[in-house]
Amino acid sequence: MADDNERTHFGFRDVDTAEKAGLVRGVFDSVASKYDLMNDLMSFGVHRLWKRFAVELAGVRPGQRILDLASGTGDLADRFAGLAGPDGQVLMTDINAAMLVLGRDRMADRGHVGNLGYVQVDAESLPFPDDTVDLVTIAFGLRNVTDKPRALDAMYRVLKPGGRALVLEFSKPLNKPLEKLYDLYSFRILPKMGELVANDAESYRYLAESIRMHPDQETLKDMMTAAGFERCDVHNLTGGIVAVHRGFKL
Amino acid sequence: MTLRDFTLEGLEQAINRVLAMDPQASAKLGALHGKVICVALAGTGLQLYFVPGADGRLQLLGSIEGEPDCMLTGSPIDLARASDREQSAGQLFGGHVRIEGDNATARHFSEALSELDIDWEEQLSHVTGDIPAHEIGRAIRALLRETKRLNESASENLSEYLTEELRVLPHRYEVEDFLVDVDQLRDDTERLAARIALLEQAESEGDSKA
Ligand SMILES: C[S@@+](CC[C@H](N)C(=O)[O-])C[C@H]1O[C@@H](n2cnc3c(N)ncnc32)[C@H](O)[C@@H]1O
Repeated sequence: MADDNERTHFGFRDVDTAEKAGLVRGVFDSVASKYDLMNDLMSFGVHRLWKRFAVELAGVRPGQRILDLASGTGDLADRFAGLAGPDGQVLMTDINAAMLVLGRDRMADRGHVGNLGYVQVDAESLPFPDDTVDLVTIAFGLRNVTDKPRALDAMYRVLKPGGRALVLEFSKPLNKPLEKLYDLYSFRILPKMGELVANDAESYRYLAESIRMHPDQETLKDMMTAAGFERCDVHNLTGGIVAVHRGFKL
Repeated sequence: MTLRDFTLEGLEQAINRVLAMDPQASAKLGALHGKVICVALAGTGLQLYFVPGADGRLQLLGSIEGEPDCMLTGSPIDLARASDREQSAGQLFGGHVRIEGDNATARHFSEALSELDIDWEEQLSHVTGDIPAHEIGRAIRALLRETKRLNESASENLSEYLTEELRVLPHRYEVEDFLVDVDQLRDDTERLAARIALLEQAESEGDSKA
C-alpha cells in the first residue's frame, strides 16, 4: 500500500499523484477537438450563461492584466480580451498543449491580436512573479488540478493587492431531487452523449466522477480562505450544479 | 443567473451574427476596443453595456464596475424605428437620443450600429414575446420587474421551484425510453452521415467531369 499522501483521485479511481497529471492530459487530448460542441450539448448551452455570469463578477476594466488558468478553448479569455481593451493584457493558459493550440486557433479566427498571449502552464505552479495580475480565473479547471490548495496559494500569490480570483466550477446541487436527476443525467446520459459525439464515453464518465469528487461550496470557500483570500463569496448557479467562488487579495 | 443573462446572450449572438457579415461596421466598432458604451432605454430602467472587441464583436453586459465612457438614452420606440433606414438618420434611436460622457465614442458607436441591418423591434419582441412595438416598453418593464423579483427571492424560491418542477419530471421508465430514442437517433444520424457522404462523393465526381 502506498502512502496516503501519494495517492489522489482520478474520478473514482485511486491513482498515483504523479500519474494523475498524465491521465488528465490524456482525457483532454482525446476530447479537445469536439470540446466546444460537447460543452454546448452537455449543458444545453447553459455553460454560456454560467460563464457570462462569472464575467460580470470579474468586473474587468480596460487596462487590466488578467490570467486565465485551464483556459481550454478560451471562452473566458475571449471575453476578457474584449473587456481589457488594447491597453490590457490577457494570458490564456492550459496544461494541455493540444487544448492551447486549439484555443489559439480559435482566438486567431476571432480576430484577437495584441492583448492576448498564450502559455502552457500548470495551475499548481505558476511561473509568474508575485503581485502582478488584477484578476486570475479558473473555469471548470480546478477539479482537474491534483493539489488544489497549492493552486489556490499560487493564484493568491500572483494577484496584486486589490485583485480578485474567480473559480467557476461544478459544485453540489442545493437539494436532493435535483441531485438525483443530476446523477441520472451525468452517469447515464452524459457518457452516452460523449460516446455519440466525441466517440469517447470514458472521458465523459471521468468528467461526471470528477465533478462528484470536487469539494462542495463550503469546503471550497474554506480552502480559499485558507489560501489567504478575503471577502470570499459564493454564487450558486442552476441550483448549485455550478458555483462561482470569488475572493479578494486585500 | 436569470432571464436577464439569457436575454443578453440571445441579443449578443443576434447582433454579432449581423456584424459578422458587415466588415465596415465591425471595423468601426473595432476602433472602439477598450471603450464601454451604455445604452439606456428610457422609461424601462433597462441599461445595456456594450463592449466592442478588437475585431468589432460586441459583448453585452447587464452591469459593469466603474463608469461607462458614454451613455446613450432613448425610447424603445425610437430604437425600434432606427431599424428603418429611412427614418434612422444614420444614428441609433433615429437621432432622438441624449448623449452623456464621451461624445465622439457615442457618435461612432451609434453610427456603426445604425448601419447594421438589425431589426431591433424583432429582437426585442423575441425578448418580450410577439407584441406590437408600442407594447415593448411596457413588456420590458414587466419583464424587469419579474426578473428583479426572481433575483430577490432567488435562493428561497429556487429550491421550491425546482421541487415543484421536479414532480413533473420524467419517471425512470420514461428515461429508459429516452435512452432508446437516443440510440435510435444515433442510428439515424449514422445513416444520414452515410447518405451525405454518398451525395458529396456524387457531387465531387460531377465536378471533376465538368
Ligand atoms: C473542462 S476544461 C475548461 C476549459 C475552459 N476554462 C472552459 O471553461 O471552457 C478543463 C481544462 O483544464 C485543463 N487542465 C487540467 N489540469 C490542469 C492543470 N493542472 N493546470 C492547468 N490546466 C489544467 C485541461 O487541459 C482542460 O483544458
